[in-house]
Amino acid sequence: MALSKEAYKEFEDVVGEENICNDPAIMPAYYNTEFAAVILPGNTAEVQAVVKLCNKHKQVFRPICTGWSGMFPKGIILLDLRRMNHIVEINEKNMYAVVEPYVISSELQAELFKRGLNFCIKGAGTNCSAMLRGHGHMDQTTSGDDRNHLAIEWVTPAGDIVRSGALGSSDEWFSGDGPGPSLRSILTSAVPPGVTPGVFTKAAIKLYHWPGPAEFPVVGHSPKYVLGEIPSNMMARYYSFPSVEKMWQAEIRLGEAEVCYELMGFNAAMVAANITTCNEEDEAMFKRLNSEVQGPGFFVIIAGDTPADFAYKKKVLEMIVSEADGKSLKTLEDPELEGIIMCQCTRISASIRETFRPGGAFNSIPIMGQRDLTIKWAIGAGEAKKPLIEKGYIVDDGGAFFGWGVEQGHLGKTEIFCKFSPSNPEAKKAVETWQREQNMRAFEERYFASTMGPQDKISPALCNYYSWWEKITSALDPNGVSPLGGSLV
Amino acid sequence: MALKDYQGDVNMCCRCSACKFIPMQMVKGSAFSYVCPSISRYNFHAYSGGGRMNIAAAMLKDGFKYTDKLLDVVYNCQLCGACGVSCNYAMDMEVLEPITEFRIKCVEDGKTNPALVKAIASLKKTGSMVPVKGKRAGWATGLKVKDATWEKVDVLYHVGCLTSYDKDMQKLAKATVKILQKAGVNFGIAGNAETCCGSRAYQMGYPKEFLAQAKKNMAMIKKAGVKTLVTGCADGYHAFKVLYDKYELKGSLEVLHISEYIDKLIKEGKLKPRRKVAMSVTYHDPCRLGRLGEPWVHWKGKKIPGDRFVFDPPKPYRRGANGVYEPPRDVLKAIPGLKLSEMTRIKEYSWCCGAGGGVNESNPDFARWTAQHRIEEAVSTGAEAIVTACPWCEKTFNEAVRASDSSMKVYDIVEIVEKAI
Repeated sequence: MALSKEAYKEFEDVVGEENICNDPAIMPAYYNTEFAAVILPGNTAEVQAVVKLCNKHKQVFRPICTGWSGMFPKGIILLDLRRMNHIVEINEKNMYAVVEPYVISSELQAELFKRGLNFCIKGAGTNCSAMLRGHGHMDQTTSGDDRNHLAIEWVTPAGDIVRSGALGSSDEWFSGDGPGPSLRSILTSAVPPGVTPGVFTKAAIKLYHWPGPAEFPVVGHSPKYVLGEIPSNMMARYYSFPSVEKMWQAEIRLGEAEVCYELMGFNAAMVAANITTCNEEDEAMFKRLNSEVQGPGFFVIIAGDTPADFAYKKKVLEMIVSEADGKSLKTLEDPELEGIIMCQCTRISASIRETFRPGGAFNSIPIMGQRDLTIKWAIGAGEAKKPLIEKGYIVDDGGAFFGWGVEQGHLGKTEIFCKFSPSNPEAKKAVETWQREQNMRAFEERYFASTMGPQDKISPALCNYYSWWEKITSALDPNGVSPLGGSLV
Repeated sequence: MALKDYQGDVNMCCRCSACKFIPMQMVKGSAFSYVCPSISRYNFHAYSGGGRMNIAAAMLKDGFKYTDKLLDVVYNCQLCGACGVSCNYAMDMEVLEPITEFRIKCVEDGKTNPALVKAIASLKKTGSMVPVKGKRAGWATGLKVKDATWEKVDVLYHVGCLTSYDKDMQKLAKATVKILQKAGVNFGIAGNAETCCGSRAYQMGYPKEFLAQAKKNMAMIKKAGVKTLVTGCADGYHAFKVLYDKYELKGSLEVLHISEYIDKLIKEGKLKPRRKVAMSVTYHDPCRLGRLGEPWVHWKGKKIPGDRFVFDPPKPYRRGANGVYEPPRDVLKAIPGLKLSEMTRIKEYSWCCGAGGGVNESNPDFARWTAQHRIEEAVSTGAEAIVTACPWCEKTFNEAVRASDSSMKVYDIVEIVEKAI
C-alpha cells in the first residue's frame, strides 16, 4: 500500500527529505518486497514522531538494525535505524554502556577492551547490533539473554517513550520498575517473534571484567588475520571426549571450578569454519579435524588475572579434562591457529564463516535450557540431519550440534543448524521439514517447548502464553501498527 | 563476464552488513569503523555493497526497472572495492565485479550520467580524462627526458592525464624525473604520444572506451620495445597491471608503481635518501594501488552442483591481501627524520579518497565529503601531513583541506622522496 502524498510529506517533515525514500528500486536492497517507504530516523524523538504518524495513518511499520533477518510484509514502513549509531555512555565505575541500536558489537567491544571491560556478544556475530538480546560464545563469564539489558528506552507501538530499569547506581536514568507489575518481561520477551513490538531506541548493557589485552595484536591481511603473539595470560584449546557423557561431566566440573573465560561446545565443523579462509580449505580442515577428534568436544579459552591465576586455571583445566579422558586437538595447539580462534571467539568475528559461507543460508533450532537434557535432544536432531547430508541437501558437518553453559552453570544454550543453498528448493523444503519435526519431537518427548514450534500445540501446554501475549500486544498496540515478527539483528 | 554471469554471487549475499565496516577484527572503536563512503554518506542500505548485490539479484530475477534513485545509487559509488574485502573476509563470492558490471549494464541500456558522458566524450576526442591545456608533455620541457617512442630506454614512465595536464600536479612528474635521473635510470616518457590508460573510463562503466585506450597504449609499448613500465598514478597502475591483464593485453610487460620502483632503487643502493625530512606523516593507501592493485587471477570453472558455492577448479578470489602495501611504507621509513604513523583504516581496508568510480566528475561534493573524512582520520594520528601515491588522491585531499580549513599538508610520495635526495 503506497503512502498518500500528504502522508509521505508528514513523514518527510519529521526526518528530512534525505532520510525517507519510497522509490521501489532501493527496496530489494532490504528485502524483496514493496515497502510503503523506508525511513531513517536519527534519534528517539524522530522515532516517536514517526510512530505517532504511523498510528495516525494506521500504517504498519517495522524497525531493523544491520538487517540480515526478519519478516517484512508488503506495504509496511521500514524504519532503518542506521543513523542511530552512537555509544551514548560507557560508565566504567558502574559497569554499563548505553548504546543506540546501530552501534555494532565490534565497535562497543573495542571501546570496552581499552577499559578492561567486555560484554556479551551474541552468536549472530560482532557485525550485529550491540543491543541484540540473546546468547553468545562468552556466556560463561558475560552471561546472556535479558540479564544484560539493564535498562531500555522503548518507543511503544502507540508512540509513548518508556524508560525501564536503571543504569546502575547513578540517578541519571531511573524508572521505578517494580516491585509489583513489571515491564521487564514484556521488554525482554522471548515469545514469538522474539522481540517486543515498538522500537528499542537505547539500551543500557551490563559490562564485565576483561582480563585480555586492550587490543589484540592482529597482523596479516584479510582473510587471514593472525595474532602477532598469544597474550601471555591467555590460552585456547579444543578438547574432544570419548562420549557425550564424559564431555558433559567435564563441562559441569569446569563450570563449578569457574576457570574458563569461555567454554564453547563447538563441533569440529565450526572450528574448521573459524580457522579457514575459504570453502575448500574449510572442507579439508573439517575432514582433518574429524579424523583427529575422539568424539564430541568443546573449545575453551582461559585467561588469568595474574600469572598465578593463569597457572592455577590451566592446571585445573588440564586435570578436569584428563579425568574425563579428554584429549586436546593437536592441530589447534599450533600457535597460529590458536591465536586465530582465540581472537575469532572473543571478537565473534567468524559467525558468517560458520553459517552463510558454504551455501548462502542456514536454518537453526536454538534452545535455552538444562544442558544435559537439550544435548540429548540435539543428538537425535543431529541423527535426523544425516539423511539430508547423504542426499546432498545440506553441508556435511557430521550431524553435529553445539552449545555452552551460561554463567558457569548447568543451564545453557544448545543449538543445531543446517547449512544449505537457498537456490535449491528441495534442500530448503527438506531443511524446513527437519526443523519442524525436530521442534515437535522436542515437545512430544518432553525435552522442551520451542517457541518456534506450532503455537496451537505448544501454547496450551504453557498456560496459553501466546493468547496472553496477544492480549498484551493488542493493549500496547491499539491500532495494530507494530506486527509480530522481525528482529533486531 | 556480464552481470548475469554473477547471478550465483549476488544471490549469496546474506545482508550481514559486514560490507559497511572494516573487517571486524580490525575495528578499534566507534571511530573510523566504517569502510564504504557511499553507505556512510547516503545511509540507505541500497548504497552499501550488500544493498547493491541484492538489487542486482532482484533485477536479474524480475527485470531491470530503472529509476532516478537507482541511478543515483549506481553512480554514487567510487567502486573502491572496500565492501568486497570486508565481505570476502568471511564469504566466498564476487562483490566488486558484479557491482561494476551493473554499472556497465546501465551504460549499455542508455542509463548514463551526464557528467560521465561528457568525460568520456572528451576522452575520445583528446585522449585525456582531464581538460587538455597545452601539450601533454609540456611539463617536461628542459628536463632532458628521453622520448621512449624513438629512443631506447629500459623503463617507460607513464605519467598519466592529471599529472600531465594539471598545473598543480605537474610537480609530481618533475619530482619523478629528478628521482629517476638521480638514480641513473635509463628511462623515458611517451611524450605527446602518451594517452590515457583508460582506467577511469572503465570505472565510469565504459569498457569499450577503456579497451580502445588500452590497445593504443599496448601498441605503442610494443613498438617502443619497452619491457618495464612505471606509473606515477594508482589508476594507471590498476589499468596496466590489473585491467590490461584481465583483458589479456598486458603480455609480459612488467608494471610497477613509482613507489615500488623507488623502493627497489633504494634497496639496490641506487638511490640514497640522505637529506633529513623532519616531518610526521601518515600514509594513505590508494584503492587502486592497494586492495585493487592485487594482480588479476585468470580462472575459468564451473559451479559444482550441490550444497556449497564451490567451483571446479577452485575459484581463487582476489581478497585484497596482495596489493602494494609495504613498498611505499618502506620508502617512507628509509627517509631520515620522517616519522610515520598509521591511521586506523589502512592497507586492504583503507578508506577511499573519494575520487574514483567517476564520482570526482559526477558528484564532486561527495568526493570532497569522502576526502574530508580521510583528512579527519589523518588528523587523529597527530601527523602534520598525509602522504599518498596517486595524484587523484592528492587533488581530492587538497580540495577537502581547503574546504575545511584544515592545516593538514598533502604530499605525493615522490614529493617526499624528492626532498630527501
